[in-house]
Amino acid sequence: MIVQGLAFYMFAAILVASAVMVISARNPVHSVLFLILSFFNAAGLFILIGAEFVAMILVIVYVGAVAVLFLFVVMMLDIDFRALRSGLLRYLPIGGTVGLILLVELAVVLGAWAVAPEATTGVAAPLPPPEITNTRAIGQLIYTQYVYLFQASGLILFIAMIGAIVLTLREREGVRRQNITRQVSRRREEVVAVRKVPTRGGV
Amino acid sequence: MVEFWNGYAWPTIWIVIQIVAIIVPLLVAVAYLTYAERKVLAAMQLRQGPNLVGPFGLLQPFADGLKLFAKETVIPSGANRVVFVAAPMMTFFLGLVAWAVIPFGEGIVLANINVGVLYLFAISSLGVYGIIMAGWASNSKYAFLGGLRSAAQMVSYEVSIGLVIITVLLCVGSLNLTDVVLAQRTVWFFIPLFPMFVVFFISALAETNRAPFDLPEGESELVGGYNVEYSSMTFALFFLGEYANMILMSAMTVILFLGGWLPPLDVPPLNWIPGPIWFALKIALVLFFFLWVRATVPRYRYDQLMRLGWKVFLPFSLVWVLLTAGVLIAFDWLPK
Amino acid sequence: MAQVPNLIPALPEIFLAVAAMALLMLGVFRGDGSTRLVSWLSVAALVVAGGLVLAVGGPREVTLSGLFVMDRFGVFMKLLVLLGSALTLILSMTYVEREQMSRVEYPVLIVLSTTGMLMMVSANDLISLYVGLETQSLAAYVIAAFRRDSARSSEAGLKYFVLGALSSGMLLYGSSLVYGFAGSTGFDRLAAVLAAGSVSTGLLVGLVFVAAGVAFKLSAVPFHMWTPDVYEGSPTSVTAFFAVAPKVAAVALFVRLLIEPFGSLVEQWRQIVWFMSVGSMLLGSFAAIGQSNIKRLMAYSSIGHVGYALVGLAAGSELGVRGVMFYLAIYIFMNIGAFAVILCMRQNGRAVEGIQDLSGLSKSHPMLALAMAIFMFSMAGIPPNAGFFAKLFVFQAAIEAQLYVLAVIGVLSSVVGAYYYLRIVKVMYFDDAVEPLDRAIPAESRVLVAATALFTLLFFFVPAPLLEGAANAASSLFAG
Repeated sequence: MIVQGLAFYMFAAILVASAVMVISARNPVHSVLFLILSFFNAAGLFILIGAEFVAMILVIVYVGAVAVLFLFVVMMLDIDFRALRSGLLRYLPIGGTVGLILLVELAVVLGAWAVAPEATTGVAAPLPPPEITNTRAIGQLIYTQYVYLFQASGLILFIAMIGAIVLTLREREGVRRQNITRQVSRRREEVVAVRKVPTRGGV
Repeated sequence: MVEFWNGYAWPTIWIVIQIVAIIVPLLVAVAYLTYAERKVLAAMQLRQGPNLVGPFGLLQPFADGLKLFAKETVIPSGANRVVFVAAPMMTFFLGLVAWAVIPFGEGIVLANINVGVLYLFAISSLGVYGIIMAGWASNSKYAFLGGLRSAAQMVSYEVSIGLVIITVLLCVGSLNLTDVVLAQRTVWFFIPLFPMFVVFFISALAETNRAPFDLPEGESELVGGYNVEYSSMTFALFFLGEYANMILMSAMTVILFLGGWLPPLDVPPLNWIPGPIWFALKIALVLFFFLWVRATVPRYRYDQLMRLGWKVFLPFSLVWVLLTAGVLIAFDWLPK
Repeated sequence: MAQVPNLIPALPEIFLAVAAMALLMLGVFRGDGSTRLVSWLSVAALVVAGGLVLAVGGPREVTLSGLFVMDRFGVFMKLLVLLGSALTLILSMTYVEREQMSRVEYPVLIVLSTTGMLMMVSANDLISLYVGLETQSLAAYVIAAFRRDSARSSEAGLKYFVLGALSSGMLLYGSSLVYGFAGSTGFDRLAAVLAAGSVSTGLLVGLVFVAAGVAFKLSAVPFHMWTPDVYEGSPTSVTAFFAVAPKVAAVALFVRLLIEPFGSLVEQWRQIVWFMSVGSMLLGSFAAIGQSNIKRLMAYSSIGHVGYALVGLAAGSELGVRGVMFYLAIYIFMNIGAFAVILCMRQNGRAVEGIQDLSGLSKSHPMLALAMAIFMFSMAGIPPNAGFFAKLFVFQAAIEAQLYVLAVIGVLSSVVGAYYYLRIVKVMYFDDAVEPLDRAIPAESRVLVAATALFTLLFFFVPAPLLEGAANAASSLFAG
């Protein structure tokens, strides 16, 4: 238990610290790298609560693909982020006030924390029996009870894909494209001619 | 005290011993992979290859290693120092850490976790970070171009690798690597899933930046790509990491398609040979294919690479996922 | 083998999603030249979906593990949404061709967005609510930026996207609070828990956040800031779409959300809705006065109309919901008609959108001017137009719920609103044209302008069928 406790505090502390660094790092590339670090620690926390599937998917999807593209874009951008951030001090009072209000509200809400007694009985999320791995358990839920949401999320990604293509794809004129079929179906006789070249004659 | 020893200290020491037992042979294998690469290429090009240091040049890798260790680490003045140094460490670290879940034989595995396949996939998808960080931190246009190319390339080919893994998982019904191997006792998956095997192997080439997909480090156009600014130890770490990754991808190929540690036929004398040896032999075979491809196939152009990844492999492997699932359901072969 | 859930109630959504994919395939293979064909096929798909809605509609039916509900309220709202989408799609065909943004993805995105709206209307769980909302919004963000070479259109899309994402964040934050304090995201379950009388502060804070997120999509004050900019920047045909279908879906969602799961908290949410309603009505009337761009004016007008519709919701009664539904039905007809006229505004082959450009319309296009006048009178709520009854019913409901202040503010702000609606009539009839508008008006627009104008008049004289439908639908919401 001690080891788990220590691991939790380590993951949690690094997660919070790196999340702070994401918004405070001067260099945007460093921000993205800290973001990746915080993803990792979130994955670590998931592993600690036994949700290994979610942890791995977090790493594969967010760290392995999404953050790579972030990094890709941020590295290509030539924005003076220091200039962008110069407004920080100007907006600090109002932002700080809003944040403070939200914090107080949260405190009020949490202070009055009372989960309805009916609510606890309504939490109909039975833990899977121990012999079923949690990957299988998630699969059994996603494809039965939540199949509607699963499919609808797919639809959202489909729309996002169409959107990305519509807004960025431009057919450029005058680009010579490779036609693989034609290249492959080309026969030797069509392109090679064997000629007898007379000495000093040329073709 | 006894409790502390039994509860914490001994397990830790035992794990460290296991880790060393995996890493040391791995590093030796990496060293001899470089040697094998030069020998195989030489043989295919009718040359001798390294033959002066030690008998048959067998000590050549160590000589190379010593040379690199003895040199000075140069950090370019415009480089981002922290990221510049962290990048090769990351590549090397990722090359090693994935081996934690590889089963070398029945029960011979450091961490037999439930989501082994996903773990491997996650780690291999992280490999891109070392390269892209190196490319950016070097503050050099060749390195940056190399980093960009590799980022796009690895992300593209991961998609088809993921789909290939899904087809295998459909046939296994578990994400545990030991289960994946044991499911191949009747038939190795490369027979029923041969097209997926080919897709996986080619994607593995792309994922490890090997010829013919070595554009990120194309010597002739990018003077070495992302590692152009690296020297001595930092370069050595890249080198080790990359070759460790090659061995890792071969190990993945073996586990997913070539029956892991299982002998080809479960009859004497084949099953007298211990599993780890079969495993090593199969990895060596796949690695030989890596080298063979490098010796024979010219480098792809970048648009061809992307076309192959997105327009050929992606739809093809998607169709195969559907097909496999359909066949499994139609004949009621789904693993319980 | 798991049981396949009953998919019949969700048939319209399934059909639309599949149709959108098929149409996209067709369009991609045929190229951008087939946009008109794809558009007409999309309209056909929307019509078929409407038929399916009628076919599967009936008594309340919950399916897909309680995530999806189909009832008579849903049928009514879905028909309105489909009607709005189909009509705006028909209107936009010629416009997109003239503006060189004729690409096959346009109708497909509208169909997909409509699918999202149907999902919103049928949501019976906070998660399916969110998923539907996001399906609708994501497609909307894209079509807002559809004219990608225009800086204004791109800006509109980006603004819409960023603020929309913010509102989704609020919605999700609120949902998580609701889940945390009530222990469920399902509407049925929530209703049961809340009816049992356990209401904590946390739950109310969650409700406020959810309401804020939805109000954003509704463009109700104080979450309206994006509306004028997005309406002005987007291509006009897209603005027409935004002003009609998503509004209806968002109102439907809001009504279902507040009446069904949070029905027992009516005293608490009434204050929120009251504030939103008053704010929207006042802002919609006063801010519109100074506008010179007709799309901006329509944006403020739509903010105002949302305010009036919310008056009915604030009543929280069956009568109020009936008023809201009737209001929305009339609103669709008036708005489509008005936008059909706006889409016809071209000078020398170039689209114009200033209010002054309408001057002298009565001379150059007398019928168009007459129709526009009808729409404007109707929006102002002046008889003999349907808009009068629309306002009447919501105010009536408010008075019955003893929300006298709300009703009085509503009447007063509609008087102010009448000023700018009538100003357009004045510009059309009494100002001299600097440069007349082009004469070429597409046939679809002619038919639609005439039809919507007729309906706007018709519903004044025979409001009974529509009203009965609305009442019938509203009762299904209060039955359980």
